[in-house]
Amino acid sequence: MTRERFIDEVRQQQEPLRRFLLALCGGNAPLADDIAQEALVRAYVASGSFLGLSKFSTWLFRIAYNCYIDHCRKSRPEETPLREAESVLAADGADRSFRYQQLYLALERLPEKERAAIALFYFEDRSIKEIASILQMPQGTVKYHLSLGRNHLKDML
Amino acid sequence: MKEIEKFLRENKPQVKDDPAFILEARRRMEQVEGIKAEVDRQRGRGRRALIVALVAGLALGMAASALAFFYPVNAVSVDEGLWQSFRLFLQEYKLLLIYPIAALAITLSLVLSRKTTVQ
Repeated sequence: MTRERFIDEVRQQQEPLRRFLLALCGGNAPLADDIAQEALVRAYVASGSFLGLSKFSTWLFRIAYNCYIDHCRKSRPEETPLREAESVLAADGADRSFRYQQLYLALERLPEKERAAIALFYFEDRSIKEIASILQMPQGTVKYHLSLGRNHLKDML
Repeated sequence: MKEIEKFLRENKPQVKDDPAFILEARRRMEQVEGIKAEVDRQRGRGRRALIVALVAGLALGMAASALAFFYPVNAVSVDEGLWQSFRLFLQEYKLLLIYPIAALAITLSLVLSRKTTVQ
């Protein structure tokens, strides 16, 4: 895959990828973008091994999720970044901003797999099959994590 | 449960298309390409050094073998004592000694030529 073709693909996936990572990072936009950039570098280095067996976006999201997991392993859990969420979203109105804060706070408290499953299913409208491929787990396990995540969010929100 | 699903679908995190993000990605990819090119260059150099070392080692080993074979040492003309014993030992085992020495030279050449790193 040439660099230009890769960038074209990335340009199409930029928004969903950053949104997915933003949800995983609990609204910490700079951190989400850093992880997204790292994922893109990893994907570019490995682009020769992309055989097209799955969609490019599925492959890219899988790499991004692995980058996020690596980041979590390396660093200690951070404090909930309320300030970032507030500053980024204040323009959309106080009510919406408050709802985002609530959402990010609740997402932050979820285990990583549940958070990822919720973000992919509800924010990215991915199918269970695709989520299973991205998170590298059986479809039944994805459904289980979605169900658990929903129940946890119901208690928190 | 439906309320939670509705809440999640209605409150997707908002991310705007950011040209700076793509510019940064492009810059990093250019850096990756630079590193890839340097690694390829170093690999090429290493491969060439390996071939040269292999050919040189074989040539030297063959030359040493030929020298020992066509010009054997005359043991009678050698001084007596420790030196003579050593020369006799060499004469006796010259062919056996040349091969491990040549093999050692080739191995060392291979090992040393592989110690290339990308700065």
